[in-house]
Amino acid sequence: MSYQACVCNLCGTGCGQFLKTDGRKVLGVAPVIAHPVSKGKLCVRGWHANELLNSNERITTPLIREDGAWRTASYAEAIELLVRRMGEFDGPAGEIGVLASARSSNEDLFALRRLVDEVFHTHVVGVGAEAGHRNSMACISHAFGYPGAVGSLTAIDKADYILVVGSDITRQNPIIGGNIHYAARRGARVVTMCSSRTQIAKLSTKHFQQKPGTKGLLLNALAKALHALRTVNNTRRVDVGKLPGYARYIDALRSISSVALEAASGIRYEEIEAEAERLDRAKSVVILFSSGISGLDQWTIQAITNLAVLTDKMDDENSALIPVAGISNLQGSFDMGLSGEFGNSVFRRLAEPQSPLRALFVVDHDDGIIRDRERIEALDFVAYCGAFRNPFMELADVVFPLTAFNEADGTYTASDRRVQLTRKNTANANDCLPGWALYQAIAGQAARSRPVAVPAGRPWGYRDAAEVFADIARSIPGYHELSHAQLAKGFGQHWDVGAFANAGRKRFHEVRIDYPTPPTSDEFPFALMVGKAQHFWHQNNLMRKTLIPRREYDQTLLLYPQGYVEISPEDANRLKVKDKWLVRVTSSTGTSMHIAVKISADVQTGTAYIPYFIKNMISDFLIHYDNAFAAGEESIIPVRIEEKE
Amino acid sequence: MSIYLVSSEEIKALALDLQKTHEVYGPQLKPPGGQVFFDLLAAGEVPDLDAAIPSMPVKEILFPQMERILKYRYDPEAQQVEIEKQYAEKPKVLFGLRPCDLNGILCLDRFFLGQEFVDDVYLVHRRQSILISNTCSAPWDQCLCVCTHSGPAAEEGFDLDLTRLDDGYLVQVGSAKGQAIADAQGWQPAGEEHLAAKKAVIERSIASFPELAKDNKAWISRAMNRMTTGFIKHEIWEYIGNQCLECGACAFVCPTCSCFNIEDAQQCGGDCERLRTRDSCSFEGYARMAGDHNPRKPVEDRRNKRFFCKLSYSQSKKYLRPGCVGCGRCQWVCPGDIGLPNVVQYIRRETSA
Repeated sequence: MSYQACVCNLCGTGCGQFLKTDGRKVLGVAPVIAHPVSKGKLCVRGWHANELLNSNERITTPLIREDGAWRTASYAEAIELLVRRMGEFDGPAGEIGVLASARSSNEDLFALRRLVDEVFHTHVVGVGAEAGHRNSMACISHAFGYPGAVGSLTAIDKADYILVVGSDITRQNPIIGGNIHYAARRGARVVTMCSSRTQIAKLSTKHFQQKPGTKGLLLNALAKALHALRTVNNTRRVDVGKLPGYARYIDALRSISSVALEAASGIRYEEIEAEAERLDRAKSVVILFSSGISGLDQWTIQAITNLAVLTDKMDDENSALIPVAGISNLQGSFDMGLSGEFGNSVFRRLAEPQSPLRALFVVDHDDGIIRDRERIEALDFVAYCGAFRNPFMELADVVFPLTAFNEADGTYTASDRRVQLTRKNTANANDCLPGWALYQAIAGQAARSRPVAVPAGRPWGYRDAAEVFADIARSIPGYHELSHAQLAKGFGQHWDVGAFANAGRKRFHEVRIDYPTPPTSDEFPFALMVGKAQHFWHQNNLMRKTLIPRREYDQTLLLYPQGYVEISPEDANRLKVKDKWLVRVTSSTGTSMHIAVKISADVQTGTAYIPYFIKNMISDFLIHYDNAFAAGEESIIPVRIEEKE
Repeated sequence: MSIYLVSSEEIKALALDLQKTHEVYGPQLKPPGGQVFFDLLAAGEVPDLDAAIPSMPVKEILFPQMERILKYRYDPEAQQVEIEKQYAEKPKVLFGLRPCDLNGILCLDRFFLGQEFVDDVYLVHRRQSILISNTCSAPWDQCLCVCTHSGPAAEEGFDLDLTRLDDGYLVQVGSAKGQAIADAQGWQPAGEEHLAAKKAVIERSIASFPELAKDNKAWISRAMNRMTTGFIKHEIWEYIGNQCLECGACAFVCPTCSCFNIEDAQQCGGDCERLRTRDSCSFEGYARMAGDHNPRKPVEDRRNKRFFCKLSYSQSKKYLRPGCVGCGRCQWVCPGDIGLPNVVQYIRRETSA
């Protein structure tokens, strides 16, 4: 049989995927019909994983930079060089940064974490998409007592009420979007809060198209209406009233003025009251929001978790609260301790000119845009590990190849804590090591060259990924009941929230009620936001290594070679521009670019979207704007749009 | 043509016999979940003729998702090109084809071989292949072949056709190739009573559609009429287009979809590899022309194209049958719930409204 089951390695949905392989090459893809989440479906990315895995742009051997050019090297030589150079830097003083990958397996991440602790001795660690997910985990942890999704993605199939906050989910996580659509078709109420008319908004029973930046306010208003309704009906939940933070939360909600709400968000309170009635009637509620680099800000996530707790429905077996990850193992990278602590972010250290950072160890940097490139170029030493060739390699002094996700055993933790096992089904053509084995070899070399303190009872010496996983089960909370043998039996298992002492003890966050005034002005009247598009998933270079998705990517850029800014037909009329005409977009921070207009009835008048795959959007606009990454999906840049002179 | 009554043991013996000279493909169950694939049988393995309809269409064998067609190397100094063909003739047996998949192959034959240009890559796969079909004694959830005239029994195109009866398999010969196999096997001839028994199997199978083919809501003749005459409102296409997540799955699992893309992938050292991959009309880049013109830019126009291809009379003239063979796989794999049976329903609902 040439079909081997595995887990799709692209987004954080964790769809079941068969790869057709002859053991040497991947020949095709098929969906897994019995998979509880994907149920025989795959999105455009999953259907073309075979093209990615056939890419010629693989890293095939260790490489060392010599006089500005690459030369191939043996593992022994490259590892010796890495250990020697890394030995020159002071880890505890913050001279070494480690940027892990949210696409690595848990085994690879766990071994990397050990390398960080036992060899590099640094606390400057992070993953590419760190900002958003760390916020999500901190907020959920406060509210529910553990850092992970509440409930399962399969709850979508049975819940009465589904709330999608922000997130263009049919593009970001299409199979979750599809499941929500099926739910709407069987009669579940699907409510989307999004400032633009996304596909899921069109497929929803109700779309709140609020003004940009007011999702949190709207969620709090919904909570206020729910509380008021229960007060009037005398159906307030006694247990909820006893939870920590309740009184302050309710006080804050009471302060919401319906007039100010409408002025800020454009949504009438009566509409929200009607929604609260439906929410109250539902037996089970699923709330989804996107997490990761394009996720939500802390205040919005806190408003979400508070609303979830207030509903008092989250203990129902068909309820869930899911921070939907854009990358396959974002949750796992957090679980394995690679997301770093607040304040110690790699990107923050890179951005601070005076930070002591001198060396960087990077895994699978597939983002199309390299942040802080100049600073990275100026570092003393950069090591890069990856399966695919990548622009980041240009910045490295030494490069290590890695296996692709189907070339080694490994587990991946989806957005809803479902841990799934992918078995090696294709040989790596160049006998490259999987991540855990490489990190083990590095640790071994470090021990030989200078004695390393290995904590008692924690030897390395893993013979296979299953042994690494056994170590994970011993040391990572929630993973204690899992093993490769067990995960091989079905379609994975959710890690156990019971491992966290506070699991089940719910709490409210303190909320801040403010009425965001648009950052726009007469001079900069448009609220510019980061738009999304299907084939450009995370500005991700992986899609550029496929054939059909790459054609789709290119086709958009052929239509709009300078990129495009989406504006409403009314705004286009007012500006007297037509589709594909060039305009000048100038931001309040002084940057400007020429870009084509794309007219879309799906965006509100006064708003504008530039997709993040358009390079200048990030490098010229977003990065210059204060706090843009922390605000994630809520980033708004005031701009002026003029017909090109 | 001749008919034979053959025991299960003799069928297995046939499969093993054919393995000596051919690559034999047939239905197999794959854990977890027991998903059925129509795949190459390992030496000594026999096809599972009781298995459900394969999850992926059999076209995977004749028109794979991704195929290396040739390699070439251009020497700019000598101005010479070396071309190396990457496909070769391997005699194949497709053992236990469901009638829908067999009809799918006949559609592909007409597309790749039945027109002015004969596709050499497909021809090499197909020329020496032996097709053995297997009557469906009962439908599965998503089946709709009774509406598309492609089941539950095969009528043409097979070399051998099998129908499971109480006392063995009725084997009907459909070609000289099939007759040669039958002659070599020395099977027991069957009689009129066995043909009557087969007829009863087919009638029982058809009669069980309302009860067993639960997902089948399609009654396509009316929809075909509407599709051909163009009386479908644009709003219906918009409604359908809004639900399309543009994954391409419907085309990848459709036994009759034949669109493909050709791409030359550069290798290290100046070698180039020519790849053929399946394509789908759901993609925006599929219909784009030079000069940025795209006649089917909005998603609803692209969906419209697909269902026109499957259901209109003008398209049926090309295939000599409807472009849909009623396997229902598009219903399985569609994340937007707009598989062909649902679309047919939307079209009919409008006409009845």
